[in-house]
Amino acid sequence: MATLLDVLNSDDGLLNVGRTALSMAPNTSKSLLSLKTLQDGKVASKFTFTTLLKDAAPRDPSTLDSQDESQHYTLFPLALGQILRQYAVTEMHLALNAGNWNYDRWGYPEEQGVGTGAELWAWMGDGAAITVDERWKGLRNALAGLFCASLGSLDELRTTSPAQTFIPEGTLPDWGVPHTVRHASLPSEHVCTENLTPFLKLLPCKSLSGIASLLNPHRLFDADWHGMGVHVLWREGEGVEMRLTFQSVSDPLRHDAAKKQDWSLQSLFDRTIHRSCPVAHSSEIVVALPKNAFYSIKPEPPVIDRSSAHFDVNIHQKPLDVILTWPEPFSYPLDYQSESTNFSVKRTLRGPSQAHGQLSLVITNHRPYTIHTLYLETMPWLLQFYLHTLEARVDGVLRADIISNLTYIPSVPHSRPTTFQALLSLPPSSTVEITMDVTKAFLRYTEHPPDAQRGWDLPPAIFTPVEFAKNGTSFSVKEGRLYTSTLLVDLATPDFSMPYNVIIFTCSVIAYIFGSIFNLLTRRFVIVHIEPTKS
Amino acid sequence: MTQPHINSVPNISIVLAYCAVIILALPAWWYTTSIQRLSLPSSRVHQLAQSHLQLPISLCIETSDVELTNSVRKTLSTQISRELERWKGLLVNVEGKVACAGESDKSDVYTIIPTSGPSWIQGRRLYTPLNGPSYIIQLAHTITSLLAPYSASNDPEHRVAQYSPRYRLAFSLLNEDAAAGNAILDWKIQDGLKANVNPILHRLSPLHNFTIESQVQFHAPLAFTPRQLDQAHGLTPEDLTVFVNSADWTLSSSSSNDPVLHFILFIPSVAHRPLRLLRNDGSASASTAFLVPQWGGIIIHNPKLGSFSGEELPQQDLNDVFYVFTNQLLALLGVPSLPPNVAKRTSGLSDWQLDALVRRRVLENAQGSQDTLLSIVKLVDQIENMPVGEDVKGDVEDALDALTKMYETSTTSLYQAFSHSAESFVLASRAFFNPGMLALLYFPAEHKYGVYAPLFASALIPLLVAALRELSAYRQERRTDKEAATKTIRQ
Repeated sequence: MATLLDVLNSDDGLLNVGRTALSMAPNTSKSLLSLKTLQDGKVASKFTFTTLLKDAAPRDPSTLDSQDESQHYTLFPLALGQILRQYAVTEMHLALNAGNWNYDRWGYPEEQGVGTGAELWAWMGDGAAITVDERWKGLRNALAGLFCASLGSLDELRTTSPAQTFIPEGTLPDWGVPHTVRHASLPSEHVCTENLTPFLKLLPCKSLSGIASLLNPHRLFDADWHGMGVHVLWREGEGVEMRLTFQSVSDPLRHDAAKKQDWSLQSLFDRTIHRSCPVAHSSEIVVALPKNAFYSIKPEPPVIDRSSAHFDVNIHQKPLDVILTWPEPFSYPLDYQSESTNFSVKRTLRGPSQAHGQLSLVITNHRPYTIHTLYLETMPWLLQFYLHTLEARVDGVLRADIISNLTYIPSVPHSRPTTFQALLSLPPSSTVEITMDVTKAFLRYTEHPPDAQRGWDLPPAIFTPVEFAKNGTSFSVKEGRLYTSTLLVDLATPDFSMPYNVIIFTCSVIAYIFGSIFNLLTRRFVIVHIEPTKS
Repeated sequence: MTQPHINSVPNISIVLAYCAVIILALPAWWYTTSIQRLSLPSSRVHQLAQSHLQLPISLCIETSDVELTNSVRKTLSTQISRELERWKGLLVNVEGKVACAGESDKSDVYTIIPTSGPSWIQGRRLYTPLNGPSYIIQLAHTITSLLAPYSASNDPEHRVAQYSPRYRLAFSLLNEDAAAGNAILDWKIQDGLKANVNPILHRLSPLHNFTIESQVQFHAPLAFTPRQLDQAHGLTPEDLTVFVNSADWTLSSSSSNDPVLHFILFIPSVAHRPLRLLRNDGSASASTAFLVPQWGGIIIHNPKLGSFSGEELPQQDLNDVFYVFTNQLLALLGVPSLPPNVAKRTSGLSDWQLDALVRRRVLENAQGSQDTLLSIVKLVDQIENMPVGEDVKGDVEDALDALTKMYETSTTSLYQAFSHSAESFVLASRAFFNPGMLALLYFPAEHKYGVYAPLFASALIPLLVAALRELSAYRQERRTDKEAATKTIRQ
């Protein structure tokens, strides 16, 4: 506590004047870093930067014909704001993740969009001169340019409209027109530093002061799992909220010779906080304190709330480095407890052939009660389902009643993906196995990517928990999407020197036939009488 | 040796039939492998490129004194003949009150009204004293700087942004390092725009459409360290060329292809204050603003510590900043300034200035459009693999039509001629940058030979050999026939 008082005294008055003035300003910016030690000794860190554009509203799509009013931005980034205005996007979520989130060991992530690769979904109002699909195309291309990511590949082949799973997080304005959702994911997108650089430019303080200065690409992309998210939504009565997130799971044990799970900001990010961001209204580091263990935390946290320590970066003495140490070396647990996830899912694609296969899901319910969940597949046409072969087994026994409320939009080859959605009821403490036969597509020569032999990444399946209403017929979707791992499908790939072989081969055959027939026609066949030799 | 006599006529006909099929198939092959190359109206382009636009300007002197009119006319024509380049494309006609009486109600006639006292303008009227020969020479000078303000000595050609029907104006408040303290975190840009910029934009609306966007950045580091002086920091003229740090400053959104004019208010960090612009000789300049030609304007603002409240740009500073921004905008758009001896009674741009700008843009667009069309025709003639599609042809034809219309209307209405010239310029540029013209440029001839050789080499060789064989057989036959004939004669 002594340190805190010191800070208050040493802090110059100017900054305090500034902060009171800012609190009256219409727009607010908050940053938060939460750090948590996981069961397997890794450390999950999550940066959240929230900017609220007070009393702002998304653009009404019916005004797209006329020129937009002048846009003046202070805390909100101009580059992103202009894109959202131009395509009249009400709500947008972009996630770029690398690696596979391990729900069983790491628990449920703080930011729910953790599917491998790129995922973009947006809610847009209909009824404009420019259709939703055209605006969706413009949006993904603009974001691709902004974030240097190949989001342009999120084309019609991958775009679906699963409105039940991707419910808006904010409010949809009432313009008298229906809103529709567009969703697409690209699991093969690799997230790297070229995506982080434009991401940092959207932050009010870039990576030069405040919590954002910890965003060191060398360490973030060295982490076991990392992902960034851009979320823009509208809250009625408040305004447009932009939330930029960066999550990572780093492994302190990897760098530590003594096999201790000690970590500090310096060890995790190779940086400490030297200056506070002058425009952040609140800037906080929250450290989840370990349960049932001996540990020590430095510096002494000014506020401890339940099981977490809070540091206010704006007023804390600089440089700020939070250090958490354990006296004992780390021993891996034999069994991981799934506190925050109720069930775990394994999804695999079976079958050795390049024409057919079987999609298999093994879902284990860890709870002693029935869990209802929506199962969603947004499969590109590369894999086509044989819906009649859909089978569900509970602990090896065939059960038809656990799958209900099927929605199925079949794929159209070369254009539309499959949307398959079903409501699953997972019996208490049991394992459900769902299988379905699939056929693999035969692609055209030009549809193959440059590295065709690698196979195609298929997007993750998504599970959304649902809650039944009292009468038991209608259900509502709850927070907490769960992404399965992605799949890799090996499609029949041609020999890519084929066209030249075909040309050469055809030419040879034609030349041979031509030559023979031509010779037959023009050669003179003469009967030569061989007189028997007189001997 | 006795050889059985066989008629070789069917063989020749077979060989000829094959050759005929190949020759007849050649056009089909040519047609299927050729690219679409529509013919461009090149003769019309060349013909229009020869012509030069002449914009008539009528001056009317509000006097019945014929002598005075004549002397003004004469002085002005000597003035014009001295600076032909400056008056290029402008055709001035001076009339007295009697001759232009019927036309004085026409809006595009410039009227000169003799008066006493200093010269001043209102609308398209110039009030000036005219009672002496020295005043007449002065009038000729004034008229020259009003009607043809772009002289060779101060030609802003390299500073003025290229014509575009739409511009985006991006205003940015950049703090070099707000975390170091004493930064300006907000500005009342709406007020600044309303007072200074918007009236100008409204006046310029016949020429351009504008969209405005603004942003504030709290960390905008420089790519270099400013030079340390005694009590200040300095930017040398070389530093100014690399001042804009486009890697770290995201200055405008990429949401449209319209050209952007940037206006930057740069607040140096506390460590670099005060930041001054240095002259070539190393002394500090009083000015804190500079222009990046065709790109935008930059103001370096060092907040005064005493009056500084720490948050928002003070009202007085805001006004000063936007006054400079407005002047920078006018300079970038090529708006001429008034001669120093002429005052205007109303604020904002005068008709004289606007008309001079429009005339300049008409001439520029007409020249640009003609040059572009000529380049397209030349390029298409030069590169034989370049496809010319329906859209390119259509754009070229429309651009030519607009040019023709511009020439027709140039004598009657300046503003109509301008809109036709702008249309023509835009269409010509669109045709020139049509992406379809690049389609087959990279399909090399070697590639074709590589594909065709295995087919044609192996198929044509038997045909050629057979043809040669038939030819030699035919010759042989003729010789034997001849020999046989001579033999019979001998016999």
